[in-house]
Amino acid sequence: MGRLSAAKPVLTTPAAAPTAEDSPLPMATEPAVPFIEIETLRAREFLPAAKEALGSLLSEQAQGKLIRPMFNWAGRNSLFPLHWGLACCAIEFAAAFGARWDAERFGVVPRSSPRQCDLLIVNGTVTWKVAHKLITLYEQMPEPKWVIAMGNCATGGGPFRTAYSVVPGVDKLVPVDVYIAGCPPRPEALLDGILRLEQLIKERKE
Amino acid sequence: MEGEELSRRLVGKFPAVVVEPFRETAGRVRFPPEILLDLFREMRDGLGFDHLGQVGAIDWVEEREVFYTLWSDREKQYVFLSTRVPASAPHLESLTPVFSSANWHEREAWELVGIEFDHHPDLRPLLTPTGYEFHPLLRSFQLHEPEGLEVKVRDV
Ligand code: SF4
Repeated sequence: MGRLSAAKPVLTTPAAAPTAEDSPLPMATEPAVPFIEIETLRAREFLPAAKEALGSLLSEQAQGKLIRPMFNWAGRNSLFPLHWGLACCAIEFAAAFGARWDAERFGVVPRSSPRQCDLLIVNGTVTWKVAHKLITLYEQMPEPKWVIAMGNCATGGGPFRTAYSVVPGVDKLVPVDVYIAGCPPRPEALLDGILRLEQLIKERKE
Repeated sequence: MEGEELSRRLVGKFPAVVVEPFRETAGRVRFPPEILLDLFREMRDGLGFDHLGQVGAIDWVEEREVFYTLWSDREKQYVFLSTRVPASAPHLESLTPVFSSANWHEREAWELVGIEFDHHPDLRPLLTPTGYEFHPLLRSFQLHEPEGLEVKVRDV
């Protein structure tokens, strides 16, 4: 998050906050809590905005205990992977979202547009011909985002490591958070990788 | 069409071709590269082989072989045709004026085995990335461990 200087959060105060003076009835004098226009915020602007909004109410320590864990909790329970199948591992990827393994019970729902995703599961052999498209898809995903390299091909080129056309590991193109071994890994292994990624997100600090 | 009939009708027009009859398919035809366009026009218009299924190439070290598969919808038969060009000058006329489906097959044969198809309308790499300089299905091509690539890390 460091390199992305967060844009100024949009904060507004309620337009006509009634005060004790112009009201005939006595009112409790509360500080006007600014509310956050959630729809206009991007994910990476949420944390600074929440800090600013709650800064006057919570101590520094309480903020650290509340805001980031809440943000991580929301993020890790709604991981949306990109629905993108590359090679044979995509069959196991599809099986993991079918009725038998049902990855949706972890809040993992494949989406068809990179704009709606925060998880890129690279499930198959990445050739040099498709490499720049993979980078484009990764860059189209909004922050914060994660990458899982599924299978030996995505991890290190697999059986095609020395071939002329295959990228020897997708970590040469984009940063990878979780590697899953196997050719192909079983759907349980994919679910295990997703749960490990959730653990990583849980421990995420600034 | 029996193999003998194919042989009779082709060799009468093109004395240079060699027809080996197959039992179940119509046959295998070997021809010199100069008569390529005339031979395929005759196959399409005269003999009714109206579908080009595949164009491929093999590296035989001194020579490179280009082979074609034709299908006749009327006879329900395949015929295989092949020709050889020297590896020192692997030039062959493009088949796209006769069968436009040869376009992508020839691009593939060019980038993988290095057959230069003259007068091809659009000889760009099809499978290998843009700017790739080798013909990887040649026997002289060496596989090698990848090198000079860095692992990307997230800059936090
Ligand atoms: S790791 Fe194995 S199963 Fe997965 S894409 Fe590569 S070859 Fe296919």
